[in-house]
Amino acid sequence: MKISKQEKAATRSKILVAASEVIAERGFKAASMREIARRAEVGDATIYNYFPSKEKLLYGYCENRQHEVAQALRELDGFDQYTIQEQLHQLIETELTLWLPDREFLGEVFDTTFYSPAASLVNLAETRRLFNLMVDEIINNAVEAGEIPEQPYQSLLAPLYWDYTTAVLAYWLRDDSEGFANTTRLVDQSVELITIVLQTGVIGKTMELVSFLFRTHISRTLNSFGDYTRPWKKAKRQFMASHDG
Amino acid sequence: MAKSVPTGKLARSRLASGAVLKAGGKHLSHIARRPFMSSESCMEEKTLLDQQTAEILFNALSQLRGTALKLAQMLSMDSHYLPEPMRKQLAWSCHQVTPLGRPLIRKLFLQEFNRAPEKIFTEFDTQAFAAASLGQVHRAKSREGEELAVKLQYPGIDITIDSDLQIMRMLVKRTAHADLLLSSLDEISQRLNEEVDYHQEADNTEWFSSALQLAPIRIPEVRRDYSSKRIITTTRLVGEHMDQWLSCNPSQAERNHFAQILYDLFVNSFYGLNALHADPNPGNYLFAEDGTLGLIDFGCVRHFSADFVALMPQLLNAYLEQDASAVLHYYKKLGMVVEGLDAGQQQDFYEALLKPFGDWLTKPFKAGRFNFAKRDSAYMKEGVEIFAKLSQIKKIDTIANEFIYFDRTLFGLYQIFERMEAEVNMEHQWLI
Repeated sequence: MKISKQEKAATRSKILVAASEVIAERGFKAASMREIARRAEVGDATIYNYFPSKEKLLYGYCENRQHEVAQALRELDGFDQYTIQEQLHQLIETELTLWLPDREFLGEVFDTTFYSPAASLVNLAETRRLFNLMVDEIINNAVEAGEIPEQPYQSLLAPLYWDYTTAVLAYWLRDDSEGFANTTRLVDQSVELITIVLQTGVIGKTMELVSFLFRTHISRTLNSFGDYTRPWKKAKRQFMASHDG
Repeated sequence: MAKSVPTGKLARSRLASGAVLKAGGKHLSHIARRPFMSSESCMEEKTLLDQQTAEILFNALSQLRGTALKLAQMLSMDSHYLPEPMRKQLAWSCHQVTPLGRPLIRKLFLQEFNRAPEKIFTEFDTQAFAAASLGQVHRAKSREGEELAVKLQYPGIDITIDSDLQIMRMLVKRTAHADLLLSSLDEISQRLNEEVDYHQEADNTEWFSSALQLAPIRIPEVRRDYSSKRIITTTRLVGEHMDQWLSCNPSQAERNHFAQILYDLFVNSFYGLNALHADPNPGNYLFAEDGTLGLIDFGCVRHFSADFVALMPQLLNAYLEQDASAVLHYYKKLGMVVEGLDAGQQQDFYEALLKPFGDWLTKPFKAGRFNFAKRDSAYMKEGVEIFAKLSQIKKIDTIANEFIYFDRTLFGLYQIFERMEAEVNMEHQWLI
């Protein structure tokens, strides 16, 4: 039996939704592939065709979320008219809004990924790539429109914003204020700060300073390392020479 | 460059307690030096100290924004007990507003109505046209084509009120009139918690609108279908804000006309409704060309007990007649107690402190038309000096809560009259 591309996508997202539910209910460790398959109403074997492991499910869901966020932003009336501050702000708010029904699930993602020693950040690489694409686009547009100056080390900015967003999500997961009002204020006020940083090009200047310090001071240290290694090299030479002889 | 704002309560209170420690340290060093100073240089030193304390205090406050700002605004209006430099700093901090960006506006609408603003109104201006207490006001147009004013509350402001107030309490303990200020903070806290509930404001607006019988006053209609706890929508009234109106150089007759309406509103609502629109901020009045006055923002409405409404004119009357024992008697009945004075001391107390205050207070009630124009009287400036003296009274144990709002509204109006350079007929309206 041939399955169309569309049906495949539908099954995939059905499995992801079921996974998010089961993992949120039972926790990542206790959730079983079998139960997820049953919840998604697919065969026990079928689920492995789509996701070979539980980890792949967890991170597949996060990747899917980034596609949804991008879609929501594209559909937002007048989003292109927003200032860069408003766009960056809206990006985070959209992440929060879409994650809201899956808050427990996101908690599991954090526990599995960031808090346990076995965690591997590699798993989130695709999610991060999708997120960074959105940030890059926002920053590129703002530079093109002349809203912020050209940013040296621009490739650094999206990863930094990813780290910031991760921190916001972690804060949100522990926010017990009514309607997560504390997170709302934190985001509002910190995005303002981030925009100022972008407008003044502080990151580029900091990076220039760092690279200056690195070049002048680290290289000097490296030179002096050379001095320390000389006696050792001499000893080694003597050792080797004695063996030869 | 704007500083980031600490949001956790821990961070907020740490910030504030840092300020308290600094202020406390300054105070202690002042006390330690005092015995060796002449009384004159002691006063100078005290002013300098107040100045420094004020700066430390408000550096902390300005980092907190939100409620702290609102608090600053309220204290700067009614607290004649605060030293002058502190009040200056407070007044300065009142002018800052935090604008809401589009993402937050959207979020607020989605939270409250589950729909974005452009889905609710045919037109919605994302740029606010006025700052309101704890929020901002936007222009909008309903599907029926009606011009609306939509007030949005800054998200999360309601939950920071309590922690900010706690911080304020710690700070205020350093000032000379800690007890009085603390009790007025309790009152303010209650009022603030009411003010963040826009349902209550909607009720107040409708109640005022139906109860008040004053022809030249216009009150907006609440649109309940576009209102919630954090958003309130009303019809938009025509008229100019005071500064705008004054900049067009209105005639003396026009100035007197509007000032009189404001004063009549005060007397009428206090006597007739036992309540006051207790936020005499010039932004809450709209001056229209047809001579009517628009009254907006019913977030702060204070209801008074029948006793207070009945006793207040008697107290004013006692002041007019310069009857010392009657003045003290009515203060006692109103809940302000001056303890531990025998008859002779009472008379001295009255002569030294209350009589100058009473003479100042009753001046406008005796004058026929009282002229508030600065060049003629500088009435409020005189008042501030008298209040400064009053604030040295150490013997008053309690201050009646109702006084705070009555005074704040009346003296707030006086300040407005001064800016309008108006003449107002206030004679005998209070007397029985």
